[in-house]
Amino acid sequence: MEYNGGAVVAMVGKNCVAIACDKRLGVQAMTISTEFKKIFQATPKTYLGLPGLATDVQTLAEKFRFKINMYKLKEEREIEPRTLAHLVSSTLYERRFGPWFTEPVVAGLDKNNNPFICNTDTIGCINFAKDFVVSGTSTNQLYGMCESLWEPDLEPEDLFETISQALMNAVDRDCLAGWGAEVVVITPDKIITRTLKSRMD
Amino acid sequence: MMSTVPSELPVTAPIEHRFDPYVDNGGTLLSIAGKDFCVVAADTRLSEGYSIHTRYVPKSVKLSDKTVISMGGCYADCLTLTKRIQQNMEASLVAPMWYRHAHGKTMSTAAIAQMLSIMLYQKRFFPFYSWCILGGLDEEGRGAVYTYDPVGSYEREACRCAGSASSLIQPFLDNQINFKNQASERRELSLDQVLRITKDSFTSATERDIYTGDYLEIFVITSNGVELQKMGLKKD
Amino acid sequence: MDHFPTNWGNPRNEDGESYNTYPMASNKVPQGVQQIAGYGHASGHPTTHTQSPVVTGTSVLGLKFKDGVLMAADNLASYGSLARFRDVERLHKVSDFTVIGASGDISDFQYVKHLLDAQMIKEYNADDGHSLATPHVFEYLWRIMYNRRSKMNPLWNTFVLGGVHKGENFLGAIDLKGTPYQSPSIATGFGSHLATPMLRKALDNAGGSENLTREEAEKLLVECMKVCWLRDARSSFKYQIAAITSQGVSISEPHDLRPLTYWEHGRDVRGYGA
Repeated sequence: MEYNGGAVVAMVGKNCVAIACDKRLGVQAMTISTEFKKIFQATPKTYLGLPGLATDVQTLAEKFRFKINMYKLKEEREIEPRTLAHLVSSTLYERRFGPWFTEPVVAGLDKNNNPFICNTDTIGCINFAKDFVVSGTSTNQLYGMCESLWEPDLEPEDLFETISQALMNAVDRDCLAGWGAEVVVITPDKIITRTLKSRMD
Repeated sequence: MMSTVPSELPVTAPIEHRFDPYVDNGGTLLSIAGKDFCVVAADTRLSEGYSIHTRYVPKSVKLSDKTVISMGGCYADCLTLTKRIQQNMEASLVAPMWYRHAHGKTMSTAAIAQMLSIMLYQKRFFPFYSWCILGGLDEEGRGAVYTYDPVGSYEREACRCAGSASSLIQPFLDNQINFKNQASERRELSLDQVLRITKDSFTSATERDIYTGDYLEIFVITSNGVELQKMGLKKD
Repeated sequence: MDHFPTNWGNPRNEDGESYNTYPMASNKVPQGVQQIAGYGHASGHPTTHTQSPVVTGTSVLGLKFKDGVLMAADNLASYGSLARFRDVERLHKVSDFTVIGASGDISDFQYVKHLLDAQMIKEYNADDGHSLATPHVFEYLWRIMYNRRSKMNPLWNTFVLGGVHKGENFLGAIDLKGTPYQSPSIATGFGSHLATPMLRKALDNAGGSENLTREEAEKLLVECMKVCWLRDARSSFKYQIAAITSQGVSISEPHDLRPLTYWEHGRDVRGYGA
């Protein structure tokens, strides 16, 4: 987690969810790239966040793209976020004694447009949360921010502001994360993706 | 000459069991400076590992009518350091004389701040394991917050959180007190607003940090002196 | 069957246990190690401060109640897993209104008893009408413990101090690192895991120590001692209770926990090696 750095956070709002990540890629203290995104679209209304060791992030992103496509071909429907969470969990647990160094986050709306978020540890233990989940090197800072900023039933625009403030202020106190951010707000009828400018130091 | 080669039995070296004089007793403290006031707050839990020794032990001490010190880390060190500060305010080590008796006045916040840095650095090679925050009013009556590392580096700031939940609260203070990442201009906060932010910080930190909880003690320093407020926190 | 206990091994982690006593600290020069003349001790080893406890006492319990403080400790001093001395008094009267209880190294406790007694005599000899009260003894004891830890040569104990001063009940503890704290209930060592939950629950239910009668407090403390005896392998059924009230100190004669337990369930059970 500390080798490349990075942070992901997801929050539940009123009939919407948001997921956000920073854009830094580093090798320990040295920043290599400021365009390294850690969240990936899994289905039209589900996103997967993968903070952690960059090589595993990319490998797993491809692995999950493959698995999600195979699911779609077999089932002839999109995978539900809850199902994806269990797919992520079992994929990670397969490597119980030589884990992928990433703590995935799943955020999306299910087929009834109910919000769903969860995260797992590096070996696939799922944490279903009703409010917010945090992951990556800035977990402490994110917990502090989310615990004080988040409130229930936020409308999409308010949720966007909340998750953005939570992420930016958190990564500003983490040397290994930051350098820009990306926020995705998922609502029943549209997906809002925004790139945030933030401190570059 | 004695042989260094084992004859019959293998050499059994004594088990080395180095004593660790430090212990982390947890706890969180913060201080926020206002225009003409200063707030110093700390929880009162004293822990060791997964045990809570006691739920109520004050981490902050009033040093004078305009200065309060708060400390977290190794409680034994913190308490010793507090005693020494209080003693030096009477009898200063910096100038080897009784400060109050020599100068006929109590030490100013800035003077205590400088002295504390020296006292911490004096123990550079066997440091006090203590995170210190000094809050008070400066000579002009403005709020002042001085923060330290265990070996005496210090600076004056607008606000600071230290201790076990510092990583949770500090970003929140950046955001709410220093208006970081906000488009709005920085404005002076009233005492009520600062108190609300302080209480929110601790209730949030208590949710996620096992070393923070039980009770919150808030010292409010104004030109009228020091007032102490208490508030309950979750005990789990 | 190997009947030599030292070959049985130890289920605990040697380095992690603060109160570990096995293997015993040895002053003998390991066979085959060259002795360097004129260096350190006659044993051949350099002078060493770092130590571990040898003869140890287990938990001490303390509980405040309406009119004073109760303390309890058993009478066992263990040598590792050996129940070495079975009638040691671990509660000691320091003054008319102060009792100290010790867990950890017994010889260190005896040294501290000597220090405290010497200090009390000194105060008495001053004949100025003053005597050290519980908070003062607590402060003094704290400085001793903290100074020793700062010399990297700690007194390997957790002390509990109970007393009454100016109408206020006092219950505090100090550990080997010089951490002092006060609390309405205190339990050291294994007791912190076994008795603390019972004591804190009772205090919560009563709504604070000021609502606890002496009878209730004593009953509770005996129950805690029983639980400690049943599950702490380094404990004994023989224990004492000290009460400190405005009337002064009373340390009981040793009591027996055995009559409070019931083992007849197993009388007719066969199997399990019986």
